[in-house]
Amino acid sequence: MRLIKLMFAVAMLMFIASPAIHAEEAYLNYKSYCMQCHGMHGKGDGVNVPAMNILPRDHSDNKYMMSRSNTEIYKAIKFGGPAINKSVKMPAWGDTFTEEELTQLVGHIRSLCCEKELVRGVNFR
Amino acid sequence: MKRFLLFAVVAVFISPAFAGAGESGTEILKNRCASCHDLKGPAPQTIRQLWKRDAPDLFYAGNKFRREWLVAWLQKPVRIRPAGVNYLRNINSTPPENQKTKSGRKFDVLYGKVLKPLKHATLNKAEAMAVTDALMELKPHYDLVANVKLDTTKKVTLDQGEVLIDKVYGCQSCHQIEPGYGGYTGAELYTAGRRLQPEYMLSYIKRPRSWDPKIWMPNGHVKPADLQKIVNYLILLSKEDFDASN
Ligand code: HEC
Ligand code: HEC
Ligand code: HEC
Repeated sequence: MRLIKLMFAVAMLMFIASPAIHAEEAYLNYKSYCMQCHGMHGKGDGVNVPAMNILPRDHSDNKYMMSRSNTEIYKAIKFGGPAINKSVKMPAWGDTFTEEELTQLVGHIRSLCCEKELVRGVNFR
Repeated sequence: MKRFLLFAVVAVFISPAFAGAGESGTEILKNRCASCHDLKGPAPQTIRQLWKRDAPDLFYAGNKFRREWLVAWLQKPVRIRPAGVNYLRNINSTPPENQKTKSGRKFDVLYGKVLKPLKHATLNKAEAMAVTDALMELKPHYDLVANVKLDTTKKVTLDQGEVLIDKVYGCQSCHQIEPGYGGYTGAELYTAGRRLQPEYMLSYIKRPRSWDPKIWMPNGHVKPADLQKIVNYLILLSKEDFDASN
């Protein structure tokens, strides 16, 4: 019985550990590249905001972000605002990140906007 | 004759080392600058390395700066990066809803040393000349500028240039084109035309990560004709007589 519990714990750890590393890398990327406009808490209130006439999106805005699909978020990051009919003030980051990093960033944004839904296991489009 | 040529080549090669009385340019760099500036390369390859950088990389200074600007700046250094070399070290977050300050600001702000005038090593004229000679020898990125050339026929007015920098490509979110006018996380661009070689600007704007793999400037996918216009604009802009920033 003890052994089974232990094995279960190890399996859980393995399951959790790798997404956790991804989450950390995604956070580092978000911090370095996105906070300058989207703000230290992702609320669209970065240090560059006073110089901008289009406000960066508040990534913690659950209602708005739930209306966006993962594909749209991915496209916005990789190709920039114009790819989803938004402003050029959202730059294209396709030359900065690998595909894997881009996917992880989408995940990171979901953790900012939609934690409850993540916990409930909602399938994002 | 051959001997003479060899001598001439050697003399040209080592002469910068003798330009300053006493300490040579290379020695000054090694003794007084290398503690902060990377003079060997390569540029940071990971975010964690990037965050440890205390001062701009100088190992490709000869591919980057204009000689006259270096000589002058080293004698009278002023701030180039309004948010410092690493903006993450110098920002304070927006106060949470329940702790709104009197000012009621709604965004992150700079704080601390970056708001004061830049404190930087200052050199006298002879030292500045010697160091500049030594810096201009550092050209490991020749490949990045070899096939790049400024097309001076792609002229723009200041107004047209500003439209490109602001509305068309959104560079102004991060860069100032007048002291205090524009964003904070990039280097100021109102003296860029005097500070930087046109070929460097063309190449850097085209693909920042060729120079600095992890930098937080995105590739703006600037069209070739617009790239030429932007650099011509930056050169024109740098002829405006803005009061130096702090
Ligand atoms: C130069 C400032 C700037 C930077 C840096 C920036 N953004 Fe944005 N971003 C914006 C602006 C402005 C908008 C809003 C565009 C609009 O509403 O038209 C936006 C919108 C978005 C959106 C919402 C798109 C939608 O569906 O409405 C996402 C997602 C996003 N940014 C992700 C990121 C990520 C991830 C990074 C870092 C890799 C990043 N941004 C860096 C300025 C920026
Ligand atoms: C205490 C650390 C420190 C030392 C020592 C130091 N610098 Fe700097 N230097 C900086 C910082 C920080 C900046 C960035 C200033 C800015 O962007 O506003 C800088 C900027 C520069 C620049 C402009 C670089 C660019 O890319 O814009 C040059 C050139 C330079 N330093 C040369 C020197 C020389 C030559 C010495 C030695 C005599 C030296 N520095 C010593 C910290 C230092
Ligand atoms: C998201 C912020 C951001 C945007 C948008 C941006 N830049 Fe930059 N830019 C930076 C940063 C950061 C640096 C590097 C500063 C450093 O070396 O410390 C930089 C560097 C530069 C340099 C070289 C400056 C120097 O002294 O080495 C030029 C020129 C430049 N940018 C032009 C542009 C142009 C033109 C655009 C628009 C097409 C643009 N930038 C868009 C952040 C940005």
